[in-house]
Amino acid sequence: MNKRPLKKEPLNLIICGVGGQGNILLSALVGTALLNEGYMVSVADTYGVSQRGGSVTSHVRISKETLFSSITISGKADIILGMEPVETLRALGEFGNPNVVSIVNPRPIYPSGGVVYPDLNEVKEMIIRFSLRTIFVNATEEALEIGDPIYANIILLGSLVGVDILPISKETMIYVLAERFQGKVLDTSLKAFNKGLELIVSA
Amino acid sequence: MSSIAMNQPGATVLLMGNEAIARGAIEAGIGVAAAYPGSPSSEVLLTIASVAKQMNIHAEWSVNEKVAMEVAAGASFAGIRSFAAMKQNGANVAVDFIVNLNMSGIGEAGMVIFVSDDPSQVTSSNEQDSRTIAKWLDNPLLEPSNAQEAKEMIKWAYEVSEAVGLLTIVRGVTRISYTKSNVVLGKLPEKEKKKAFFPELWDMYKPKMSKFAAGPFPGFHKALHIKIEKAREIFETSIFNRYVGPKNPELLIITCGACRSYCSEAIDELKAGERVGVLKLGTTWPLPEKLISKHLGTTRKVLFVEETDPFLEQSVMELAASLPPFKSNLTFYGKRSGHFTPYDEKNTNLVIYALMDILGVAHQLRDLTYDREIRKAIKILPNRSVNMCAGCPHRATFWAIKKALLLDGRNGFLCGDIGCYTLGLVGAGFFQSRTLHAMGSGAGVANGLGNLKQFGFDQPVLAICGDSTFFHAVLPALVNCVYNNSKFILVIADNSATAMTGFQPHPGTGQLATGEPATVVDMESVCRAIGAHVEVCDPFDLENATKTLLSMMKKDRDARVIIMRHMCQLLKAKRNIQREYKMHIDSVKCLGETCGCGNLCTRLFGCPGLVWNKETSKAAVDEVICVGCGLCADICPANAIIKEEQIG
Amino acid sequence: MSDDKKGVKELFEEVINQGLCTGCGACITRCPYTVVHEGRIVILDKCIVNEGDCYKYCPRTYSDINAMSENILGVPYGDEEVGLALEVYMARSKDPEIIKKGQDGGTITTLLAVALEEGMIDKVVCTKMDGNKVPRGYLARSREELLQCSGSSYEASFVLEAYRGIPKDSTEKLAVVGLGCQIEALSKIKNDPPKNNVNPNDVKLTLGLFCGWALLPNIFHPRLMEVCDLSQVYKFDIPHTPHYTFDIYTHIENGKKSVSLDEIRPYINPACRFCWDMTAEFSDISIGSAGSAFPGWNTAIIRSKKGVELVKLAMAKGSLVTQVLPDERLTHLKTVAFRRKKTALRNIVEKTGNKRNLLYVGGLSEDFTDKLLGN
Repeated sequence: MNKRPLKKEPLNLIICGVGGQGNILLSALVGTALLNEGYMVSVADTYGVSQRGGSVTSHVRISKETLFSSITISGKADIILGMEPVETLRALGEFGNPNVVSIVNPRPIYPSGGVVYPDLNEVKEMIIRFSLRTIFVNATEEALEIGDPIYANIILLGSLVGVDILPISKETMIYVLAERFQGKVLDTSLKAFNKGLELIVSA
Repeated sequence: MSSIAMNQPGATVLLMGNEAIARGAIEAGIGVAAAYPGSPSSEVLLTIASVAKQMNIHAEWSVNEKVAMEVAAGASFAGIRSFAAMKQNGANVAVDFIVNLNMSGIGEAGMVIFVSDDPSQVTSSNEQDSRTIAKWLDNPLLEPSNAQEAKEMIKWAYEVSEAVGLLTIVRGVTRISYTKSNVVLGKLPEKEKKKAFFPELWDMYKPKMSKFAAGPFPGFHKALHIKIEKAREIFETSIFNRYVGPKNPELLIITCGACRSYCSEAIDELKAGERVGVLKLGTTWPLPEKLISKHLGTTRKVLFVEETDPFLEQSVMELAASLPPFKSNLTFYGKRSGHFTPYDEKNTNLVIYALMDILGVAHQLRDLTYDREIRKAIKILPNRSVNMCAGCPHRATFWAIKKALLLDGRNGFLCGDIGCYTLGLVGAGFFQSRTLHAMGSGAGVANGLGNLKQFGFDQPVLAICGDSTFFHAVLPALVNCVYNNSKFILVIADNSATAMTGFQPHPGTGQLATGEPATVVDMESVCRAIGAHVEVCDPFDLENATKTLLSMMKKDRDARVIIMRHMCQLLKAKRNIQREYKMHIDSVKCLGETCGCGNLCTRLFGCPGLVWNKETSKAAVDEVICVGCGLCADICPANAIIKEEQIG
Repeated sequence: MSDDKKGVKELFEEVINQGLCTGCGACITRCPYTVVHEGRIVILDKCIVNEGDCYKYCPRTYSDINAMSENILGVPYGDEEVGLALEVYMARSKDPEIIKKGQDGGTITTLLAVALEEGMIDKVVCTKMDGNKVPRGYLARSREELLQCSGSSYEASFVLEAYRGIPKDSTEKLAVVGLGCQIEALSKIKNDPPKNNVNPNDVKLTLGLFCGWALLPNIFHPRLMEVCDLSQVYKFDIPHTPHYTFDIYTHIENGKKSVSLDEIRPYINPACRFCWDMTAEFSDISIGSAGSAFPGWNTAIIRSKKGVELVKLAMAKGSLVTQVLPDERLTHLKTVAFRRKKTALRNIVEKTGNKRNLLYVGGLSEDFTDKLLGN
């Protein structure tokens, strides 16, 4: 297979958010797409107790031929796909570096039990400050327009593909979505995916 | 998951370790698979069950891991290859049977179990290293380093098992079980299995004891040692033990499992490939001693990288102590030297730091200024505590328990157990669970506390368990309560699901692992038959639930069971059950921080569907997270939370 | 003292755990963290409100009695043994149904029935015994409902908890029936109205009850249940001297069971030792009987113009009959009331060990304080 060479070996993608946002679905779709494109992938998710309201992080490591370990080395993320702003900053804290690209859904999810959420604008500014390039994608709002906030992660998927750092073509990802979903869910997912792509092109 | 039954040898698919293990067992031609749900192993049986019918496999969720082992052993005795999967705690439950199985030996057909440990106890109450079980009980032990290897190892494990006549243990960790990667599929076996037959029958003409028996007779242990030595010989030449590196490395790393890739990546990062070699062992008990001795002779420094106990470290050091003097000029690094902790998960960062120290190199993982500034910046980030989902019935149950215990006023308390209601330990469950140990230990410990009257004990005792846990381990505790006259109330939080581990069915749900209908074992009838007084409440009717608990606490006699029955919210969502209400907050009525409320709903009640708006100083409903269960409307002291019924 | 921010924690530390709680129910009116259960106040969780209404309105936290007098009665606090008395009568109902249910003269029920009928009030915050004869706060809306509330149980009733049932934005006119401590609490509420509760100006009428002591329901009630079948009881009574009994009237057996008062004394609320207000000095009308009126009659002390008008109206309607209270009866009442104040203050000083620390009693003139503390 004529694989596109990677910008570096390996490429490291971090997907972060709050339990329940659908990051496991996202990482599986990205992983499958990359596998279809002919790459070696390793996808590691957080499971179990942290899914209930806790911070969740998925690592996707991409290589031409080598199977890399589950967890990215500190400071080595190439892309951070943040489904929530505080979690994005948290991921940058551990895996960020001056060359990281951050794609972020800026809608906050408040921790329960009366814990105070920091000033959102301050968090957004810091994300910008600690990334080479930051793209805010209002995925939840857009998903609500499409009909269900649950599709926010698919919109982000579109943006991820649109940014074109990972070697995934639009066609490959559409194929993966079609294998995974059927009927009305597939229709809405494709709408969400295309919306995400659109949002990057227009940015 | 349909790729699990794909008959395309050579095709590459993205599988997590658990799925690859399932595929490996299927490729090995198993006929029977049994397990009890337990993260991080649950997906193995789930995957096998999803294709069980088409692959002619009997796959079941057994009631607990001991039974699962016994189910698999039975199949092996009858000549059918069998498989069981469990988490580390499940292995403890299985140990009593394994000890005896090792005495009796397995049947003609191989038997393999997969045990998945949980370093850093991300989804467990502890992080034991189960490998010691293999050393302690004398079973062959294999450790895969990635999903592909896991699949191949499972197949080879059956050959080992049949060659030596012992149960073979394959051990993984969370990162192996849950990491997805490229897996090349192998050939599928024939669907047709040979006829199952139990051979060890009584021969009236030549009567003798069955070989499938462990008993007070000499010679069993010796026979076991002979078998395990045979495994050692096989392991000396296993392809799963590999060395990569210079002929005479300055530093030899001995590693296994998930740690192998951390080591190779660390060496790459430090560009130390000329100095460091990696001996990765796939067969970690018994040790391939000749192989290891050979490599020990090539170096002066050895670093052990493994999770979680210094298992290899101790076994290899024990080996080295017995070797001729010239080989003992070795310096060992690992847990004993303090380069790794004997607790918590390992990762590439930790291996890098260890190598930096041993090799004497300096290295920056990222720009120093960036590092310093971002570490300062993230100090403002709040930590998220785990919470129960919006609409979770356990929230209502714990709220009722909290109030009932306080109204009763005699310093009553709750003994906790394992499941989503484990969160009774923390703020999400209002810190109500005051003890937590193994599955079923809530009722178990309550038995003890409920029988201390002669020492002046006068506090009401409650215990909680889920519907799955009830069948798994609480039945004996309830029998004990009735028989030994212990005074406590068992609260069964029945949400119709084994929720925490992923909604596997259990004897009360009416469904088998394969999705087919099952006979329901009726919880209430069982409790009554045991001799308990039983009440059933919907925890969402808080007033009734609290009142029932209170009146039960007053009756300081009889075994008492209260079933708090309400379906799990995630299960409702899976079954597309329509949401009941649309919620919103009347901000005029909302008292917020002021006297008469004090942020009760967001600070104490804690449903993630309710958020505190700093600007307006009022509570608000997060429409994305709220599922419309309506419970919060009943706890608002100002009647400011409004529920509108959704029709149609 | 009153400048510090104090909430439920201090309420428990300074009042409830000090044995000063009279069981008036003022602290739990709009609070989700406290509830009355079987005669105990139970805290259900941690409250984070620093300055709580619970502490502010408790009649056993610092109370400026002089300010209360000025605000409620319109005059500074004098040294009248029974408080301000515009008129004093003996009174009794002319309604046989009320007399049968009521305590002695049935005056309270009659006055409230009249006030309801005339539309002076819409609802009455009073005490009603539930099915187990436990007294609880209740909102009565009609004469029939009032009749259900008639009669005393002699147990402390957290009557003010009935405020929970009144919406914050209600404009209904209320009457409140309570003991001295409860009327004191209400006076503190009127002095400094709460932000998140019903406006105290909605309380148009307060009727106070003479009270010597109350029984602690959490220990008395279980004992009562052992002695009789409460479902058959319709009245409790402590008759005047020379009787020395606690009488339980039942539909069954021979109709009445008597228990010596000596057996009842261990169940008296110890907080009552510190109470100086025997005659509910801040109500519109205070009503009682023991020690002053004749059997079948109440003593009524009228303290406000409103009270005067209501009694006049009830008499005009033929619902109530009054007589002048004989002098020696009034003198006797004043003696008892004054002795009560002295005893209370003496007990307080004994508890605090300091003549200057009078706990909740504040705003009294130095002369009056000396008079009470002297011989």
